[in-house]
Amino acid sequence: MLVRNNRRRARIILNMSKIWLIMLIAAIGALLFTNPDAAIAAMVSGSHSAVKLAIDLVALYAFWLGFFAILEKLHISDFIAKILRPVTRFLFKDIDDETEKFITMNMSANLLGLGNAATPMGINAINRLSAGKTKATTNMIMMIVISATSLQLLPSTVIGMRATHGSVSPASFLPASIIATVLSTVLGVFLVKLFSKIFPDKEGLNERGSLLRQSAKYKKMRGKRNLGTEKK
Amino acid sequence: MTSYIIPLIFLTVLVLSFFKKKDAYSMFIDGSRSAIDLMVGVFPYLITIMMAVEVFRVSGVSALLANAVSPVMSFFGLPKELTELMLLRPLSGAGSLGVLDTIFTNYGTDTFIGRCASLIYGSSETVFYITAIYLSQCKIKRLRYAIPVALIATFTGCVVGCLLLRFI
Repeated sequence: MLVRNNRRRARIILNMSKIWLIMLIAAIGALLFTNPDAAIAAMVSGSHSAVKLAIDLVALYAFWLGFFAILEKLHISDFIAKILRPVTRFLFKDIDDETEKFITMNMSANLLGLGNAATPMGINAINRLSAGKTKATTNMIMMIVISATSLQLLPSTVIGMRATHGSVSPASFLPASIIATVLSTVLGVFLVKLFSKIFPDKEGLNERGSLLRQSAKYKKMRGKRNLGTEKK
Repeated sequence: MTSYIIPLIFLTVLVLSFFKKKDAYSMFIDGSRSAIDLMVGVFPYLITIMMAVEVFRVSGVSALLANAVSPVMSFFGLPKELTELMLLRPLSGAGSLGVLDTIFTNYGTDTFIGRCASLIYGSSETVFYITAIYLSQCKIKRLRYAIPVALIATFTGCVVGCLLLRFI
């Protein structure tokens, strides 16, 4: 009964495909009355800027992925993962070392204000967390929420734009902005923790003595990690 | 100060690779090889979202919708002129940057509206865009409470930040 209730609630939650459809129908419908020529022009120009952005992003991804490969081979990423382990252990439950590495690299890139460098690592982390599932687990939701509310400690785009518009002090909004971004991250993490208690994962991923904990796969994972730490 | 951090990290890593006798050149090549594959996965999402956001903005529906929900903004103490920015910010970085530019031109950068707009853009992320891109290569269909939580957290941050801007 409770399960069915949860399922019904989950369906109401907004998703991208509905928002996309409503946006397009409303926009094209409105343009039919005001300016029908602009409809196709706007869609083409939007696609055009997507292609331009894609080319920029390929360059950035190639560059950052190359750099991350060096970090990986020099075992610097293991080191960063170890430093940030208390944070990842608090945020995520039962993750393996490889996923942990991707998550910590994603978080450190975000902290340095390198959103585009964080993206490839985030995609890898989500792929490993999802492992063919169709429904997001608490770990995946946490990953999405901390990326979507990520700490923007130095919003260089806005500061630059304020400067070009002749602002007297381009960075004057920073103290309040940093409080806002920290608050949004903390609140996001808190809400995910809260909701994971109200709507737990069906596999019981987030409970002590859960199915995953007892499974052979998890034991293997655990064993590997212990081996890894013993070596060091 | 901050402009030194990232080049310094790079330099340290490269020097380290030299002393550890690891071939940084071939490692870089191996890493960057996966960029094209990554973009092949991301690109359809990029174009689908940006196409829709552009037509949504050009059609004036976003401004219309902004008008309709502006009382909500005023209720939370945010300037109602910033509703469109608030609506487009989670969808697209490029689209909302255009709106930010218009706001700076119309209201100036150092007014309360201009500072508030800087805070909204500077402290938040493109929630829908990031979610779509991050999930571009896996089979997840149901996100459960991920997006509402991210949106509520971002909005609360903006409300509190703008309140602080009145005093700081």
